[in-house]
Order: sequence, then structure tokens, then C-alpha cells
Amino acid sequence: MRSDKRPPGGAGKRPASPRSGLQGWLRRWGAPLGTAAVLALALIGWRLARDEPPALSAAAAPAPGAPGRPFFGKVDGGGLPAPDDRARRRRELVDHLALVDHTYCSYRAGSQYPAGSRPMAENADQNAPNAPVLEMNPMRLDGGGTDTQVQLQTSQSRVYMAAGEAVAFSLRAVDAGGRVLPLVVTRALARGISYGAARPAPQVTLPFADDGNGADPVPNDGAFAGVLAPAQSGLAGFNGTIRTEVRYAVGGKSGVVLFDVIYTPELPAVWSGPVRETVENGSLAFVLKLDVRMPGRYVISGRVDDAQGKPFALLTFNDILGPGPNDIRLTVFGKLMRDQDAALPLTLRDVDGYLLKENADPDRALLPRLEGKVFTGRAHPLSGFSDAEWQSEERSRYLTEFAKDVALARQELSAFDPAQPLPPGECAQKAQIPAPEIGKGGAPSVK
Amino acid sequence: MRMLRTIMALCLLVVSGWASASNYTLWINGRTGGGTVGDYNSFTYWGPAGTAAGVNKKAVNWDGRSSIASQSPKIRDALDCFCTGANWCYIATHSAGDLILGYTLANYGGSARLKKNATANASGVCGNTDGSSQTGWNIKWVRSASGAGGGSELSDAGSWAVSEPLVQDLKTSTARAMYNHNTTHNIWFYMYAGAKGTLYSGILPGQDDEAVAYHSSGGVSGSAGGSYCNPSDWLCNDLTLGTAANEGGSAKWSYHSVSFRDDGEAYNHYANGNWGGIVSVVRSAMVNSAL
Repeated sequence: MRSDKRPPGGAGKRPASPRSGLQGWLRRWGAPLGTAAVLALALIGWRLARDEPPALSAAAAPAPGAPGRPFFGKVDGGGLPAPDDRARRRRELVDHLALVDHTYCSYRAGSQYPAGSRPMAENADQNAPNAPVLEMNPMRLDGGGTDTQVQLQTSQSRVYMAAGEAVAFSLRAVDAGGRVLPLVVTRALARGISYGAARPAPQVTLPFADDGNGADPVPNDGAFAGVLAPAQSGLAGFNGTIRTEVRYAVGGKSGVVLFDVIYTPELPAVWSGPVRETVENGSLAFVLKLDVRMPGRYVISGRVDDAQGKPFALLTFNDILGPGPNDIRLTVFGKLMRDQDAALPLTLRDVDGYLLKENADPDRALLPRLEGKVFTGRAHPLSGFSDAEWQSEERSRYLTEFAKDVALARQELSAFDPAQPLPPGECAQKAQIPAPEIGKGGAPSVK
Repeated sequence: MRMLRTIMALCLLVVSGWASASNYTLWINGRTGGGTVGDYNSFTYWGPAGTAAGVNKKAVNWDGRSSIASQSPKIRDALDCFCTGANWCYIATHSAGDLILGYTLANYGGSARLKKNATANASGVCGNTDGSSQTGWNIKWVRSASGAGGGSELSDAGSWAVSEPLVQDLKTSTARAMYNHNTTHNIWFYMYAGAKGTLYSGILPGQDDEAVAYHSSGGVSGSAGGSYCNPSDWLCNDLTLGTAANEGGSAKWSYHSVSFRDDGEAYNHYANGNWGGIVSVVRSAMVNSAL
């Protein structure tokens, strides 16, 4: 009902506007809330500094739930949820806490080292970049279908190729018992794949042989090998995927197998001087000289073995380079060496990389590969390297967000079921798990 | 009094910062595409747009037929839009969506990104906030429905149209050599592997969902595929749950964990325009955990 009566207080006093109400509210509650917020921020900061997720006490003021949903779901009927619903809801809260706790703890552990300096145990499939790709599949019949009684073993020495490189292919047929079956290569044709209106790329016929020469190490063993060297063929100027289609016969049946390589005739940069090492910021950096012809983003990786020849780390450079001489730093992070008690000196080997063309296809032009040992450093004392964790704005941003998620999840669960203790966090347990070695179990998710 | 004003200003700054922060759920499609590229509300690929699929859901559409490299900018636009500044993302992928996200993170996950305001133009590009930048994106985790990061033998065998550049990227040896799958920048990929596949059992090794085999949907590491199965199959190595090595000793890529293995062989590859197949399992997980 509308009232025309003036409010008490005289003609000069107007009803409080929402704005003045806010001011009054701020006057009354601003100081205590401000103090509480600052204290809460200080608490979060202190817990972060101690590398612990901030645990909000169950007695704290109710915090908003995770974005997009109410802190507590609406309870139909106005009473407590039925026992089954309650158990289910508790399970959801426990699962959610486990997820955010795992997210926080694994990120904290994993980000001790920067992205460019990672344990090789995390990169098992990057340890031998120049090993051939070996596959075995049922014989694929020319015209469709497969013959599962015949298994075709194939290998190709590379997938991405730098200018001037060659690639070797081989194939061999075996039966279910592993016995080699007679095989005849009837035709092998390499052609560049082009699309739409692009001019068809040239085709090149490849000889395959089982004569113990070239890419075939053993004569007459049933394995046939061929080599594609685009730079020495009609494909010299082709830039993109080259598909080699090999047709063969086994036991009177015709089969086909496809080998793809991605070739670039461009040489975006060249290595231009001796490698050196330097100790900087508590870490060990291998410095390689690169003369850049095509500026842009370069992704370059190198492998590091310890003094016993054991794979130790994968080092990666990923940044934008200008034209001309550049120093590429592949850095072994100090704490990584300290944590794994690295046996020094370290050896850098198998360096490869490419210019990443950001919006193009094909997306890269490869650098000349540095195969095998590249550089062995000095036997520095381990104590000369830092054991400090990697720090960055990125890491702080992630840890702050993930810690907030953990705190909210703990608070939700605690408020839902105050009588039950909260499950133990993952961070403390994680520290006790030893790191597996390459080839002895799975690549560890988190160290 | 000045002290009080300073404290209040600080608090309001913090509160306003919190208030403008949002979580988003991004859905990255696979081969064939179907949604309108650049329209983050176009869920045609997945199913009815009204279906719950995580907080503030957005469809990150790419054409699903061009090469991974040429379509990666669409993914980067979306990540810039919703996963920078104060905003954070949960991500779900399907099939080749796993490959394009993995490629994008490995190559660009440590690059400088301009902070965006989550308001997109018709091309899917958002406006800048204050012109500042940050390193990488804000991503909490990823769930991959039948991830094709390890490629598919259907591409190897020429079963898919060779006129699509994406098909050549999906060749197992190419997909696995395309980028370092371990480089996720400490972001977890939770893998969901379907097994209701019979049509291509002669081509796809081990268990499959009619398009992708377990070696890929389970995140198995290595330069080539392999045969992995459910525990009920005694003639084939088991794909293990979690991060543990598989039966036979093969490892998974780092930061890849198998969350779902289709022991009941109940889920095929296809969303079928209705959040179906293995996508239904991931959608359910997103509803429960992308909050």
C-alpha cells in the first residue's frame, strides 16, 4: 500500500536512498569487514608462503560457493536430506575435495621446475628422438579389409624432416607365430599431398630391396627397405606431407601400407659456433649459437645424460628469435640437479628444433639436427647450484587459484558434516613417493 | 580515518576482483565439426544447447577438417577469451579436440597472452582488458572423450577421406610426432576411453569405440600405437586406470590419467548430436566437477 505520509524527522529529511544506505552500511560494517578481509588475505598469503592450502575454519563466516552454484543446494521439503541423499551429497563433496586437492598438490610439485627443464622420467618418449618408428598391424588388403593371419612390421626413420635429410622405410611380413613370410614389393610411389586447387605435386618411384645395401642391413631376411631423399628427387621443392604408398604381395594377396613424412625444403637457421656452458642464477645453461635466417618462434629441445650415461633431463627452449646471431639457452634447473643428486658432468645430446609458423600449414621448418653427443660440461660441485623452487607470476597465479579451490571445498565439506574429520591432503603423501626410473614403470605424473 | 579508507579501498578492490572472476567450461570438438566457428554458443556438434555441461559452457568450434596447425588459432582465440586475467577454464574435448588442444598447449602454453574480457566478436575474438599480458592460460584441468592425441589407424589405413588435411594429421605416427604430449604445463588430461566398437576391429588394435583405439584414448605414450584392452581380455594387455603403467609396461604421457575405461563396452565414439556415446560420460563428469 502506497503512503503519502512524510517520514518522521521533519520536512528536510529525505528517505534514505540505496546509495546512502550503502554508505551507512559501510560506515557500520566497513571497518570490521575490512579488517577481517585483510586478515584473511594475510592468512592466505602466510599459508601460501608456507606452501599449504589455506584451511578456512568451519566457524568462519559462510563463504560463497564455487561460482555457478549455490553453496548449499536447495533442500526439498524444508527438512534434512534423506539418509541416501545425504550420503550421496557427502560423497560428492569428498570427491570434489579430492579433485581440487590433487590439482593443487600435483601442480605445486610439478611446477618446482620450469617447463623448459623437466626430468627425463616425465618425457620417456622424447628420450630417443632419432629412433625409428616401429609399428605392427594386420595386413591391409588392397581394396579394403585386413588379413589378420599376416602381420606387417614396418619402420620409418623419421616423421618430420629437415631440408636435405633422407628417410628410410622398411617392411616385413610375419605370421601369428612370428615366422617371416615371403613378401614381394610390387610398387612404391612417393607423392606430395596437395589439396583443392593446388598444383599436383610430383611423384617419385622408390626402389625397395632386401639386398643388405643402403637402408637394408641384412640381405635376404625378408625385410625390404627403401630410402626417400626429397632433395635429390622431383620433390626437392615440395613443402608438406609426402605420402609413400607401398604395394606388396604376401601369399598371393595384395596389400598396401602408407608411410607419411612432413618435409620442408627451407632452412630457417643454422648452428653457428661452439657450444659452451655457464652457471647462472643457480642453474646450468648450455649455450648454443644459432644464426637465424627466418625470424619467429623457435621450439628447440635437447636431451641431457648424467655422468653414468643415464637419461636425466629434457631441456626445451620456446621463444621468439630475431634475425641474425642468437644465443639459445638450454637450462638444467638447479633444483632438478639437487633433487635427483645428479652425477656430473652432464652431457647434452640429440638437439632438434623447428621454426614454428604460427598460423600456417605446414607449421614448421626444421633446424639441422644435432645427433648424438653435442657437449659435455665440467664436473661442477652440486652445492654450487640452487635448490630453490622455480618461481614466477604464472606459478603464483595457479597456486593462489588452486589453493582457493581447496579452501572452499574443505569449508563446504566441513560445514556439511562438522562431526567428521576432513580427509588427509595429498601434498604430504606426495612427498613420500619415490620417483620411478625410465623403463621401470610408467612415466610419473608428478614428482 | 585515512587508514580506514585505504583498507576499505583495498577490500573493495579485492571484492570487485573476485566478483569479476568467472569459471568457464570449454567444449572443443573433433573431426567433422558442425558448430558455427567463432560462435561460442553454437553447440550443434554436441547436442541441445540447453543441456547442462558445466559452468558457463562455451563451444569452441573449429572446422574439424583442416589441419591442426591451421585451426589452432581458433583454440587460442577461445583460450585467450575465457582463460586469461581473472577467469579460469575447465576444458572438455572430443576425439581430435584432444590433439588440437595438446598441440596448442605444447607449443603455445608458455607464450605471452593478452588478457581478454570474455566478450567475443563474430569471429570469436574477444576484446582486451587493460592491455596487459600473462604467461600461458588459466586452465584447471581437461577431460578428453576418446582423445585422438595418439592418432587413429583409420587414418593409417586410408579409411577416412584423404581430401581432409586433418586426416593426415591423425595418422598415428604423425599425431604422436607432432608435439611433445607430455608438455601440458602441469595441467591434467583426464582420459575417457570408449570400447563399443566392432566395425573396424580388424584395423583398430585392441579395444576401440569405432574411431579411436585405447592406445590413444587412454593416453599411452610412444611414437606408435599398440593394442590395449579391458581386463576381461586375456589375449591383450590391459589399459590401466589412473597414471600407472599399462600391463606390459608401457607408460602413459605425463599428466594424463585414465578416468574411465569402458569395461562394459557400452560407449561408442559418436556424440550423435545428442551428447551421446563416450561424450555422455564426460558431460556427466563436467556437470559434477566443472563448478
